[in-house]
Amino acid sequence: DSNLLVIILDTNPFVWAESAKAPHTPLSLDDALRQVLIFINAHLALKYNNKVVVIASHVGHSKFLYPISDDEITKHRISGERNANMYPNFQFVMDQIVASLQELLSNTDVSFLEKDSGTSSMITGAFSMALCYIHRITKNDDLGHIKPRIMILSLSPDSAAHYIPLMNCIFSAQKAAIPVDVCKVYGEETAFLQQAANITGGIYVQVENPQSLLQYLMFAFLPERYARKFLNLPNQDQVDFRAACFCHKKIVDIGYVCSVCLSIFCSWSPVCTTCKTKFAFRPMVPPSPMRGKPSPISK
Amino acid sequence: MGTRRPMDEEYIDIDDTFNQDDDAGNGGYAWEEEYKRSWDVLQEDEEGRLSSVVAQLQQQRKRRRLLKDTAVIQRGIIRHLFLIIDLSEAMNEKDLRPNRIDLTISYAKQFVIEYFDQNPISQLGIIVTRDGIAEKLTELSGNPTDHVTALETRNNVETSGEPSLQNALNLARASMIGVPSHGSKEVVLIFGALTTCDPSDIHDTVYLLQKENVRVNIVGLAAEVQICRELCNKTKGTYGIVLNEAHYKDLLFDAIPPPAIAPTKNRSNLVMMGFPRKHRENQATFCVCHSKLTTVGYICPRCRSKVCELPSDCDVCGLTLVSSPHLARSYHHLFPVENFDEIRTSNLQSMHCFSCLIPFDKSDINTTTTTGTTTTTPGTSSGQYYACPKCKQEFCMDCDIFIHEVLHNCPGCWSIASENQDNNKK
Repeated sequence: DSNLLVIILDTNPFVWAESAKAPHTPLSLDDALRQVLIFINAHLALKYNNKVVVIASHVGHSKFLYPISDDEITKHRISGERNANMYPNFQFVMDQIVASLQELLSNTDVSFLEKDSGTSSMITGAFSMALCYIHRITKNDDLGHIKPRIMILSLSPDSAAHYIPLMNCIFSAQKAAIPVDVCKVYGEETAFLQQAANITGGIYVQVENPQSLLQYLMFAFLPERYARKFLNLPNQDQVDFRAACFCHKKIVDIGYVCSVCLSIFCSWSPVCTTCKTKFAFRPMVPPSPMRGKPSPISK
Repeated sequence: MGTRRPMDEEYIDIDDTFNQDDDAGNGGYAWEEEYKRSWDVLQEDEEGRLSSVVAQLQQQRKRRRLLKDTAVIQRGIIRHLFLIIDLSEAMNEKDLRPNRIDLTISYAKQFVIEYFDQNPISQLGIIVTRDGIAEKLTELSGNPTDHVTALETRNNVETSGEPSLQNALNLARASMIGVPSHGSKEVVLIFGALTTCDPSDIHDTVYLLQKENVRVNIVGLAAEVQICRELCNKTKGTYGIVLNEAHYKDLLFDAIPPPAIAPTKNRSNLVMMGFPRKHRENQATFCVCHSKLTTVGYICPRCRSKVCELPSDCDVCGLTLVSSPHLARSYHHLFPVENFDEIRTSNLQSMHCFSCLIPFDKSDINTTTTTGTTTTTPGTSSGQYYACPKCKQEFCMDCDIFIHEVLHNCPGCWSIASENQDNNKK
């Protein structure tokens, strides 16, 4: 059985800059990348036919870091010279990832920082691309020998606009039985990714000491799908699936759902703000007739 | 009824028509043929090779999905549907393999599973009709396993006698009287007989169905019946006759995506729903749905009673209990992906598919041989390429099908933040 590991790397440079300046446990992109590359080498070393795919989710766009097409290899001028001390497969993967990432970061559009979307990265696009790639690989594999899984290394917070497409991706992954693991390196808890890990049967880990990221990766995320049945891996005890109302974004226990567009409100209102559907008023008790009130105009 | 010797043009046909399929004998209905010549579908081309023909057939089958209307329109999301299965003697015919009733039951099981997958907050019930009476096999409920178990029980689905259209429709209509106005009421009827045995005037039933806004869709296995046609026209449903097994599945599964409804004032409503949290305790306590002792359950936010699973209605206070992923599962019906435009091989701008990196084969522009078939090199994507009209990224055919049928988002649109961001097309 060959394992296909798809890593979605959050390369939002603004959040990485914050993480590198974090007071107690700084982690810069260089350090993290070094540890992730060791993790990738470990995964490839476990079995001769393990495969890896790396997708970067950047601000503004997402793209494949490994594997990349031939014309991009020549464009990045990746040298083919061999390092005698390193296993050539590892060298090959590392060179491509580092070169693509350098090119990606050097082309960052700084104007995103001013816009609202500066703090979130395109996880949804990367996730969709990962699912399409896995679909292509498993389509040709009739005997089911390739076992895919997805791992997301995330720092940026959730973006509310991406809720619907992210849930679509999560349900597609659930239908295809692809576990989605999430490693949250910096930043507070993201409810969407927690739900992703829970629904698809993956692992969610909030890293407390980011400088020992490699230890978290090796112990929690390295085992393959078959081995997970026998191991006691970190899991979440309580995932909050309650919804947030569309008007105030507060979590509701009982909400009012528009039957047309399924948007959730915390209190009854005569018109739905999303789809502008008017709702029929329910018959109400008429108010008691008012007695003559004293006139406000003084005599 | 003799069979015609099939002509060559009917098989190597590029049009997307339902008639061309592995099992189609002569392009007619399944019930018209005496025997099937399924081996005639494969024809050799001039050099005696079969591979190009097989590739063609596979391509046709892949693109058979009709381009759906992707306008953002109002759809009935909270649905109540009754599946009525005809269990009369006519269902023992062997024109559909292995016989009509076995095929129907297996498709019905797949239908139930797929229905709850696409419509998690809806409800389904099953009614069967035989010997002139109709009986309810399962009540309206949101749990797929009940229905599948009922369908699997052998003596539930024995065939005998004549069906009764009026009794079945009346039973469905009566069971749906308590449905609130924001939910849609539908009936899917699988009708294999050509007769019906009714106690009184069926037109009264048709009138009542129309008055109560029940939409009836009929899948006919035998010839078209006038009363069915009238029923569907009056209730704004669809009526289709199956040509073969694959077409039967397509027709049946057409009822799964939520139907478009005309917005009427008293239909839409704000439905009060509860979002319970999962509750785990050390000692077992009773649940209110089965009166079983369990340690895990969901606590209703209104009456604090424990239910075992979601989505369901609280048995004590009647509140609909769901979790947000259930609602999220239906969002893709409301915000569908636009259909991609087909682009010619000569207009391709990138070297590989955007989402799966499969290299595009740009060399098959001029490789049509004298027989009119095209050859494709192995390892590359074959045939047509598609581009999203919004983000202009190019995708191969497999990704196109995957995106529209399973994923429901375009990777290109969600990978690119704004319109004036340069597309990453290298």
